[in-house]
This record gives sequence, structure tokens and C-alpha cells, in this order.
Amino acid sequence: MKDDFINHIKPLLPNVDYCSFRFVNKYTNIISATRSVIEPVIISEDDGLMVTVYNNGGCGYGATSNLTDGGILKAVKTAQKWAEFSENKLTYMPDLDSLKQQSGSYFTDDEENWSKISTKDKADYLMNVNKSLKSQPTISNWGASIRFNKLETLFIDTNDSYVRQKISYLLPQMVVSAEYKKEIQTRTYGGHAHARQVGYDFIDSINMTEHAKLLAEEAVELSRAPNCPDKITDAVIAPDQMILQIHESIGHPLELDRILGDERNYAGSSFVTPDMFGNYKYGSDILNVTFNPTLETELATYNFDDDGTNASKEYLIKEGVLIRPIGGLFSSQRMGLDHVACSRACNWNRPPIDRMGNINLEPGDHTFDDIIQSVDEGILLETNNSWSIDDKRNKFQFGCEKGTLIKNGKLSGIVKNPSYRGVTESFWNNLSKVGNHDTNRILGTSNCGKGEPNQTIFVGHSTPVCLFSNIDVFGGI
Amino acid sequence: MKSYFKKVSEYLFNSLESNEILILNFDAEQTDFVRFNHAKIRQAGNVDQATLTLSLVYKRKSLNSVIRLSLDYQKDSVLLLRTLYYLRREIPELPQDPYLMYERNLNSFDRETKNKSLDSFNITDSILQGCHSLDMVGILSTGAIMKGFSNSLGQFNWHESQSFNFDWSMYTDTGKAIKQNYSDQVWDQNIFSSLLEESKQKLQVIDNREQTIQPGEYRVYLSPSALNEIVDMLSWGGFSYKANKIGSSPLHLMMKGEKKLNKIVSFTEDLSNGISPKFHSDGFIKPDTTELIINGEYKSSLISPRSALEYSVNHNAAEYYESPVSINLKEGAINNDNILTTLKDGIYISNLWYLNFSDLNNGRITGLTRFGCFKVSNGEYQGPINTMRFDETVYNIFGDKLIGLTNNKQLLIDSSTYEERSTHSSTIPGAIVEDFKMTL
Repeated sequence: MKDDFINHIKPLLPNVDYCSFRFVNKYTNIISATRSVIEPVIISEDDGLMVTVYNNGGCGYGATSNLTDGGILKAVKTAQKWAEFSENKLTYMPDLDSLKQQSGSYFTDDEENWSKISTKDKADYLMNVNKSLKSQPTISNWGASIRFNKLETLFIDTNDSYVRQKISYLLPQMVVSAEYKKEIQTRTYGGHAHARQVGYDFIDSINMTEHAKLLAEEAVELSRAPNCPDKITDAVIAPDQMILQIHESIGHPLELDRILGDERNYAGSSFVTPDMFGNYKYGSDILNVTFNPTLETELATYNFDDDGTNASKEYLIKEGVLIRPIGGLFSSQRMGLDHVACSRACNWNRPPIDRMGNINLEPGDHTFDDIIQSVDEGILLETNNSWSIDDKRNKFQFGCEKGTLIKNGKLSGIVKNPSYRGVTESFWNNLSKVGNHDTNRILGTSNCGKGEPNQTIFVGHSTPVCLFSNIDVFGGI
Repeated sequence: MKSYFKKVSEYLFNSLESNEILILNFDAEQTDFVRFNHAKIRQAGNVDQATLTLSLVYKRKSLNSVIRLSLDYQKDSVLLLRTLYYLRREIPELPQDPYLMYERNLNSFDRETKNKSLDSFNITDSILQGCHSLDMVGILSTGAIMKGFSNSLGQFNWHESQSFNFDWSMYTDTGKAIKQNYSDQVWDQNIFSSLLEESKQKLQVIDNREQTIQPGEYRVYLSPSALNEIVDMLSWGGFSYKANKIGSSPLHLMMKGEKKLNKIVSFTEDLSNGISPKFHSDGFIKPDTTELIINGEYKSSLISPRSALEYSVNHNAAEYYESPVSINLKEGAINNDNILTTLKDGIYISNLWYLNFSDLNNGRITGLTRFGCFKVSNGEYQGPINTMRFDETVYNIFGDKLIGLTNNKQLLIDSSTYEERSTHSSTIPGAIVEDFKMTL
């Protein structure tokens, strides 16, 4: 988006109480090899604009992929029409004086080297990874892919704001299944949660080919392993399962639009009520959770949200006490609370709503060995493969790809189909040890669904290994 | 829009070199979205979008590019030609695709449902007036959906319809809720008013004292909407030929002949309602019906052209994901008027939520009760229940534990709007199941 383009479209901003233009340019490239065959390569290019108008107590938007003057003016008119229609019919009319002029930028700190590697080289690499995945005779399915996404946004408004951001990220994925006596077990590369704002060098650094062999061995071992036993026990949860636990039972229930009821028809509400902020004991004293858009390479690191609000790190839960919700500027106004920069849209064709950004569990001071050695009897749970939680984000049940029993402080044999269930309100109070920086992983998922109309967005979670006591663990049939 | 698609198709086909084949898929919608909370407007606006997917085929290789169109011919023609050049430059680098298959026969047709255009402002006003003083939350989507296919061999297909989908819930002061959906091609105020009246009556019932349910096994009635959630889970690979072959299907033991369902269970993929396009993204024409499970036995899978080549079988024009887009479950014998008396003592479940597999190999599913779930004693509503988690296998739900299916099926049009408005639907009866396990 060149400066002359910006100068050209600025005069198209209408004379209303407030109007913003949010341009989004999105590029996606997915290369996959499944069962040692290169799948059709996907390249996707998307350009569009959302015009948002606030006027006389009404609000409306017009979203278009026609970025000619005529197309933009038509979208402005549409937004004005909806703003006029909705005058005095809105659930909430924001205080527009709180919107300040913003200017700044954010660019993912990579060398933009995706396009420098040829499609053929990427395809050859994935074929090699496939070879490593199909390294055992009982492997029944295997595949690997790399997804590259680049999202450029330009935000201007009638306050003379000017925000430009470019986020690019990679998502490497592997899957391998093994069959034994009609029992099929699957291992993936971190439950498809290794999305980060990194360049292609990252692919070399994680050595997918070597990792593939390990995953294949584990899938074979799991296919012959006993079922996870049913019992109440200590559970050591690895980062690639913790990400889901944080996402579903801290991230979603703290989204302010759920608490305000906007999501009650679809994604659900929350057990959290407004009176809990500042005093509710969400978890044990060692639970510290932040909204952190500043962590380098994490998936949802940025300087501004999609309403143009400046982003900063804030504590959501400190020493176990609930501090603040995940609410953008306007949602927070509705409830008279402090905001975070979390008003985000998945693309130009959807309006911003309260979303997680990077929601991180801050590391403690225990090594992985400390944690395992402290457990007399328990289980290590790795890699999410099933998730389900009620509409108030309370009663949850999660499944993992791999369980390893712990006896007398030592890892002692793997079990298949490990699952656990619990209730958010009591679960986090059972947090008894938090791993240190060495156990911490920066992870991210690109497909968090929410909103009406529906949106999927990318969110980051950085978390160490954690130990919980009294967890209801069970296996398959 | 159709003429625009024809125009860009012609332009691109005229730009091809010898030995190149180009396949185009067009997706567009012009949708007004109105989001409600507390029976007022939360967000409202319009999305006008169009996408063209170009698949260039050359020497048994293929490469795809998905381009957002501006619908300004001058702008689009430059972008599309640039894209075609890019695909032409890249494609020689790729290996041959052993599973590449596209329609070579010409099966052109046009399905355009012409009806009076929908007025979103009037519909929104009706909703606001009807729900005045109620705690209503939901989404209204109205407008046109267009899908097109063309290829350089001369095939052209078009599917266009105007429709609306109003999906909403209503809450009591105590936080209990019921859910409704009204979707069609023409807005009928009388139908909406009667649905609203039904909602209000249900709200009164659900506002009774909560009945606390403990974990255990219960006889349950699953409404068409609740049963559809379970059918949706079966669609995660259950009817896919490839998923059954590689073992990622919840029904792979059934396909291998080790498990059966109750004889009254028959699933068919049925496109005859015209909601989904009948053409495949590679140009094949889909059959009106495909029998999937008949009288409790696995009959056939959905087989994409790629799977057909990989496993040397015939395809039935399923898309690559091989899951149903318009599934039909045959009705049963339980009279809809006798649901409560047949259930007698148990739980009436209107809606299930957030389902996932808890043991994929054995078809075990977990999930939760949500809107409009009641305890029933001696055939009468006792009051709403607390939110409960279930964990149960499809072989119980549709097998030995299935008491019966209702004699009335319901058409459920998918209200999903991820990326674009869905054209999926299902036609499902209700079911009464015994020993349904509630775990938390």
C-alpha cells in the first residue's frame, strides 16, 4: 500500500461523527505432501476494505473487495445507510471522544524469505519429511505441510490516524498414524500449534525430518500401548496441551464481549461476572497470566488492534487473582473497566470483536526434572487432540495424543487415549508447580473460531510445563 | 454477476497456450449482516465479496490460485492475467500429480432461483418490533449467494439464490435460554410471528425451577437440532472413503464390517433440495442421492476424484473433504405428538454444544447440553436442567440404545458464515435413546 494510494483515498472519508477505513491485504501459500504425494499447492491473494461509520447515535459498516474509487464510495454509502438505520437502536453507542489520533506501525521481524525459497525446494523438503514419517511398516497415514500467511493492514480514520502493520507467520505441520490390530493412534507436531511470526529459517531450525522419525516411533508405540487408566491423580501438562487449557478456560471466559452477552447465541457467555474483577481467586498463588502483544515471534504480537488502539502487556491474573478482562476499548467502556488492545477482525470482511491476542502463562522456577521427581503417582499429558467445554467455559474435557505414567518420581511407560475432565472454577486452584523458562514454549494456533458473522483468527500462547493435583484422568474404551 | 464470470472466463481462456487447461471456480455473496444483543442492534453492515479460483493444468501437473475479485473488469483482468502468468511460470517446477482428475465431458447447466429481493431493513424492523422487551441475541444474514464453474473445455455451471437466515436465542432473567432459527428464500411475517410466539411459550416453561441432574445414564429425547450435532461429528470422516481407509474415521470399524447400527438407521446424501450446488469444483456433476448407511449397514462412502485414483475405485463427485453437504436421515415411527409420552421419564434435549471425539477409534463423542433442555417425568416437563456433559458412542446412540426416530424430519439450514455463507443443510428427525451417559 503506497503513500500515494493513501493520499488518494483520504478525501473519500465522509463528513460524519467518526469514520475509519481498514484495508487488509492477505496472502496465503500452503504446500503439503500427503502419503508421499504433493497435494495441489494453494496460493491465495485477498484485498479488501471495511468502512465503519458512527453518526448521530448509529453505526454501520460496508465491506468491499472493490478498491476503486467507485467501490470505496459505495462501501461508504452502505456504512452510512446502516448507521442511519441503526440510530438509537444500538445495544451500545461508544463514547467517540475516547478515540484518539493514533499513528505507528508494526512489521514482523523476519527477512521475508518465504518467496526466496522455490516451491520446488519446499515440496522436495516435505517429501523428505514424508519419507521420515513413513519410516515404519505399520504407519497407515502420514503427511506434512507448511503454511505461510502474510497480513498487511492499513488503518486511517477521521481523527487523522495512520497505522500500518504487516504480520507474517509460518505454521509447520506433521501428522502420522500407526495401526495395530485395527487400533489406530496418531501423533502430530504439537497438535498443529507451532504457528509463529518467524521466517523460513525456523523450518531449518526445528529439523522436521528428524522430528518426523520420533513422531512415527511414538505413533507405533502408542498403537500397542495400554489404555490410560481411569483415576484421580497428579497431572503434569506439557505446553502443547497447556495451550488449549489456557485458551479454553482462561482466554475465552475472560473475553468481555462474552461477559456482556454478545456471544450468547453462538460461542457462549462466561461464568465470570463483572463483580469478580479485582478480587476473584481464579487459581492458586502461582498462577500469573498476561495479555502480551509484545513477545517477539509470538503469533499475535502487534502494536495496534483493528480499532487502532495502542497495544501493551497487561496482567489478566496476578498471583491467582483476576485483574482484568480481555476487552477492547468500546467493550470496556460498556462495563467501565480498563481495556486491552484486543479488538480484532479476521479480515476486511468482518467487523472487529473482542479476541484473544497472546495470552501467556508466565513461567515459574521449577525445572522439568524437579516437577517429575515431585510426583509419586501421576501422568504426563502431551499434545491436544480433543477439546470440549460448556458455553460458560466451566465444565471441560480434553483429550491428548500421548500419556506417560509417572511412578515414584520417574516416567514409566506410555498409555493411549489419555483424557481428563474438570471444572474451570476449581481446576486452576489445583495448580501446584509452574515450570521455568527452560520448559516454556511459544506456541500459536491459527484457527480460533468465534463471532457472528463467524470469524477464525490467529492467537498465541506461551506457556511452561505445569503440575496439577487431583485431576480426573481416564482412557478410551 | 453471471455475465461478469462469463466475461472473465472467456478472457482467461483466450489467454491460454496450447496444452494448458484452465478450471475456474467462482464464489460470491452480497450479504447484509445484522447482529443483535438484548434485542437491539450490536453491529450491522454489508459484505460484498467475490473470489475466483484458477486451477491451471499442464502436463498432468496442476497449480491453484485463489484471487479476490474487485468486480471492476479493468482491474481484475490485469490481476488475473498476472496470476495466470505466475501459474504458468511456476507449474513446470512441480511434480506430476498422480491423483489429478477433472471432468472432460461437458455438463453445462444453470440453476438460478429468482425471487423478490429481500429487504434487510424491513426484516430487521420486524425482528426489533417482535422481540421488543425480550432478551434476544442472534444474527440475521440476508442476500444473494452465487457459485459458478467453468473450464477451458467449454463447460459452464451456475448456481444462484437469494435467501435469509435468522438464528437467535432468547434468555430469561435467570440465564436460561431457548434457540430458534428461521431461514428461507422469502420472509413470511406470519411464520416469523408464530415462531416468536412458540419461543415465548418455551421461555415460560424454561423459567421454571432448575432440576439438578447428576452424572449417570438417562433416557433422552434428542431434537432434530441436537441429533444433527451428532450427525455432524459423523461427518468428520465417517462418510469419507479416504478417512475410512486410513483409519481417521469414527466409523472405520463399521466400514470394515465389525460394527452395525440399528436397522431403522438410513443416511443418504441428498442434494435434491437445491440448497447446495450440484457441481463439483472439478466440473463433475453430483448425483441427486448417494446411499451412505442403509438399514444400519454401511453402504457406500463419499468418494472424491482424488481418492478414486488413489484407491482405484469409482468416484461419486464428492469434494476433496468427502463429507456430506446435504445429509438426510430417514424418519422413524415415533409420532411427533407422542415424544413426551414415549420419553416418559428422562431428559428432553433441544440442543447440544461443542462436541468432539473422546475415543475416535470407537466412535465415542463428548459434548454438552445447552439451550432448551428439560427434565421430563411421567411424560411432563418438570423444568430446565443444569448444563451436563455427555460421553457416548455413536454405536449406542444409533445402535442398540436407539428406541426410535420421530416421523417428522426437520430441514436444518446451516447458519455458518466462516469466510462465506454456508450452502450446507441437513434433514433430520428426532430420536429417543436410552442409557445416554452423562459424565459431569
